[in-house]
Amino acid sequence: MKFLGLLLAVFGWLIPVVGLTWTVSSALRLSLCLVGIVMCVVGILGFLNGAYLKHAIWKL
Amino acid sequence: MRLAKGLMRCLPAALVLLALCGTPAWPQSQTPPVTSGQAAPAPKLDAPVAAKEASPPAPEDMAKGDPGGSLTGTINDVAVSDAKKGLTLGDALNQIGQNKVAINFVWTLIAGFLVMFMQAGFALVETGLCRAKNANHTMMMNFMVYGFGLFAYWVCGFALQMGGSAPVANLGGASPLSSEFTVSLLGKTWGLFGTHGFFLTQGATYDVAVMVLFLFQMVFMDTAATIVTGAVAERWKFAAFAISSMLLAAITYPLFANWAWGGGWLSQLGANFGLGHGYCDFAGSGVVHAVGGLTALAVAMMVGPRLGKYSRNGTPNAIPGHDIVLVLAGCFILAFGWFGFNPGSTLGASGNGALRIGSIAVNTMLAGCTGSFGSVLYMWLRYGKPDASMSGNGLLAGLVAITAPSGFVNTIGAAIIGLLAGVLVCLSVEFFDRVAKVDDPVGAISVHGVNGLWGVISVGLFADGTSNYGGSWNGVQGSVRGLFYGDPGQLIAQLIGVVTLLGFVFTLSFVLNLLVDFLVGQRVSAESELEGLDIPEMGALGYPEFVLKVHRDQAPLGGIGSAVQVES
Repeated sequence: MKFLGLLLAVFGWLIPVVGLTWTVSSALRLSLCLVGIVMCVVGILGFLNGAYLKHAIWKL
Repeated sequence: MRLAKGLMRCLPAALVLLALCGTPAWPQSQTPPVTSGQAAPAPKLDAPVAAKEASPPAPEDMAKGDPGGSLTGTINDVAVSDAKKGLTLGDALNQIGQNKVAINFVWTLIAGFLVMFMQAGFALVETGLCRAKNANHTMMMNFMVYGFGLFAYWVCGFALQMGGSAPVANLGGASPLSSEFTVSLLGKTWGLFGTHGFFLTQGATYDVAVMVLFLFQMVFMDTAATIVTGAVAERWKFAAFAISSMLLAAITYPLFANWAWGGGWLSQLGANFGLGHGYCDFAGSGVVHAVGGLTALAVAMMVGPRLGKYSRNGTPNAIPGHDIVLVLAGCFILAFGWFGFNPGSTLGASGNGALRIGSIAVNTMLAGCTGSFGSVLYMWLRYGKPDASMSGNGLLAGLVAITAPSGFVNTIGAAIIGLLAGVLVCLSVEFFDRVAKVDDPVGAISVHGVNGLWGVISVGLFADGTSNYGGSWNGVQGSVRGLFYGDPGQLIAQLIGVVTLLGFVFTLSFVLNLLVDFLVGQRVSAESELEGLDIPEMGALGYPEFVLKVHRDQAPLGGIGSAVQVES
């Protein structure tokens, strides 16, 4: 889960950056940025943080 | 024959014309008038200047003192390169150039000193928001982050960040910072990190302008490093803090700062891909605050919440800080220091549009003001009282958010950015507290991380196209414009900065701190945490006189009561 979260965050970063060479359309580039940001947030707060919360200190 | 006759007929007229052309229209002794299309002959720079005509004060007048200040600072004070020749025009022009650079050196250094003083503000805010039993530990982290960070940044951080930055015109050059490591990918050149300036000597960087730039950039880096200490206060091992801070100063911060400010690939998004002026972050909402805030998030997730922060069913419990007076005094110190942070980022007060410092300073004030308005109004409407600590966080959130756009927006834009930041910080604190369950005693993730990202985005929305720092920014001619002023490409460049912060900076910080966790462990023992970290980690209490002795059945349960020694 932790690894998957980090992987999502990294891919979320790479997609809009690499996507700069795929298209010159502002709308498409903007969409890729938003997709990337959502992937990063889901990876960090959804998967990575979720993995830590599974074994949170108050549950022990 | 006919041709010869024709020439003879024209000869007198030609002679008259030649005579007219050869006669000057003005007396020879006077200087010819200069028209717009005609340049005056350049005076020789080594020609002596008639210094007496400037009427410098006589030595006997100077000896009487100058209470009015009208005699001090004259032509006599201009440095002369050749005493035999006396003052020349070249000397005077060199003095003008040096004065410009001197003004900019002094401006940048004083701004750097103000930013350095922000460490005191951070120390007070964080210590005030923690419990008394952790005061020494929290204060020491804020104190020592300066030394740990400075050392690592001097060794390699500065070189990685600024070693390949273009010459800084306002500081007279800083030319040795000229070597950037680049890779060619996808048909473009991507600047990754600088390679000049290790130990401030390698690569001929023993240079006055480089020193000024180092001081200013160092205190910015230190601000990023100190943000982390607040988010993981009251449970972070001092050894882990020391290593983590040095890694941030040596690797994480310099890499992103190079990409944004050191000539790296983010700053070139405009030149390479036509995205506005590339990633624009005037004073560091992203570079400083989001880097610090996202590192804080990575470490806070890893370390976990404080004991007692969450009940067994996961509901959060408030753990109030021990001194709101310290908190608000610290906020004022930070707001004062921010006048170094934002206006100082012009790296000068003279030349290249640097007079915009007036506008930048007012934007900074306004956003801080509307930030505190936003949070006070939100808390008042939602909880019935204007919360003091959140009003402080609102002020800081407004200041964080205006940091990136301060040099590009007008006052209306600044006020809106600050107001939204003030509300956003309240929503974010509630989200991390209740939904994400990431314990952040001072709200650093929300103030610096979330609002740092908001500040970066706001450049792409509110930049009004009136700033002009030497005619171009990041190598793209013209002024920075956001979406609301006609340039959607700028917003895309800013969003790529945001996704880089989330995807690259967060991941790198997380991996580096995982290494720290493996080496020394990030979290103190439960016994140390319950006792308070002052004795177990630092060996001395922050407030020895606060140790009270009461009978067991009168013992208070939490907050400042944790410092009470209970007798049976």
